[in-house]
Amino acid sequence: MAPSYKLTYFDGRGLGETSRFLFKYGGIDFEDVRIKKEEWPQWKEKFAFGQLPVLEHEGKQVGQSIAIARYLAKKVKLAGNDDWENLEIDAIVDTINDLRLKLVPIFYEQDEAKKKALIEVASKETLPYYLPRLEAVVKKNNGHFALGRLTWADFYFATISRVFLHSFTGSDALADYPNLKASRQKVNEIPAIKKWIETRPD
Amino acid sequence: MAPQYKLTYFDVGGTAEVSRYLFSYGGIEFEDVRIKRENWAQLKDKTPFGALPTLEHNGKVVGQSVAIARYLAKKVKLVGDDDWENLEIDAIVDTINDIRLKVFPIFMEKDEAKKKALIETLKNDTFGFYLPRLEAEVQKNKGYLVLGRLTWADFYFTTLSPMFDLITGEDVLASYPNLKGVKEKVNALPVIKKWIEIRPKSHA
Repeated sequence: MAPSYKLTYFDGRGLGETSRFLFKYGGIDFEDVRIKKEEWPQWKEKFAFGQLPVLEHEGKQVGQSIAIARYLAKKVKLAGNDDWENLEIDAIVDTINDLRLKLVPIFYEQDEAKKKALIEVASKETLPYYLPRLEAVVKKNNGHFALGRLTWADFYFATISRVFLHSFTGSDALADYPNLKASRQKVNEIPAIKKWIETRPD
Repeated sequence: MAPQYKLTYFDVGGTAEVSRYLFSYGGIEFEDVRIKRENWAQLKDKTPFGALPTLEHNGKVVGQSVAIARYLAKKVKLVGDDDWENLEIDAIVDTINDIRLKVFPIFMEKDEAKKKALIETLKNDTFGFYLPRLEAEVQKNKGYLVLGRLTWADFYFTTLSPMFDLITGEDVLASYPNLKGVKEKVNALPVIKKWIEIRPKSHA
């Protein structure tokens, strides 16, 4: 029987990987559709807001990576036990996303001098502001990003931090942040996730 | 008895107004704390991640405007009936937020020529891309953004859309009657109308 879920994203990890991790963690069968960048222009118009990832289920389609992850997290029981707990998870996920958004312009900057200036700001201001505070949160939460236990926020950081932290600093941006590093490591060692990492296409 | 909730933001609508609307809609008392810009520098590091709004409740503090709004929306029953419906609302809210993320930096641009160029791109590429698609969603959803009924997505759109007019100096929704209709419908809700009347006059 065909999987009841189809996740469409580019052929990479990026913003789709959190959801792939969640599917794998919960043992939920899904069609892992990967679009090559060259083919994207012809696909773009098939989706309401022209963006990926998109989740399809029972004939309906939705976009927005974090919204999709939140939905899947509930299905695989990595969400909060009440509304306030979910607020705490949502808030830390959005904060990690804020950090990602501040770093994204670096990848798109073509002008070398401007790029260098952006990296300077990121290294001297942005990362030193966010990483120690995130480190403190994880320390306070027994090695997790919220609620003192494993939630989808841990999956979000584990997958997203690869996207933005290593690609531009060239070095290990988490070197001075043992709790952040350990949290990511712990996610990657969950058996279902470990298996996925070993077998995933990219 | 002091209100159970304290919402802290600047003395404007911005990203906190959706939550003020939700509190008002649900008749939930809240302390509406407004920080003056000149005091922000000393208060910044007292917030979880140096940003506003924050919500305080039962001794705990959280940030992130959309997360706070989602929490309040549940309290006041402006959410979906199941996880998929909530996903649909979240996706539209995040899409509207994507627009806001393109608008917001332009306010910071000091170079007038650059600012003018950015506004043109905003109108052609951002508004030109998103607004027709959102307009189609409202047409499909009987005058609401999602689920064919009132949800917090309608509040979110209504409270952020003033930013579009502010940056362009135009009535951006003039050519989008359905989107305009959402805004008018939300602002005409008796409890919201009342909130708009009683909120601080300093509110921009």
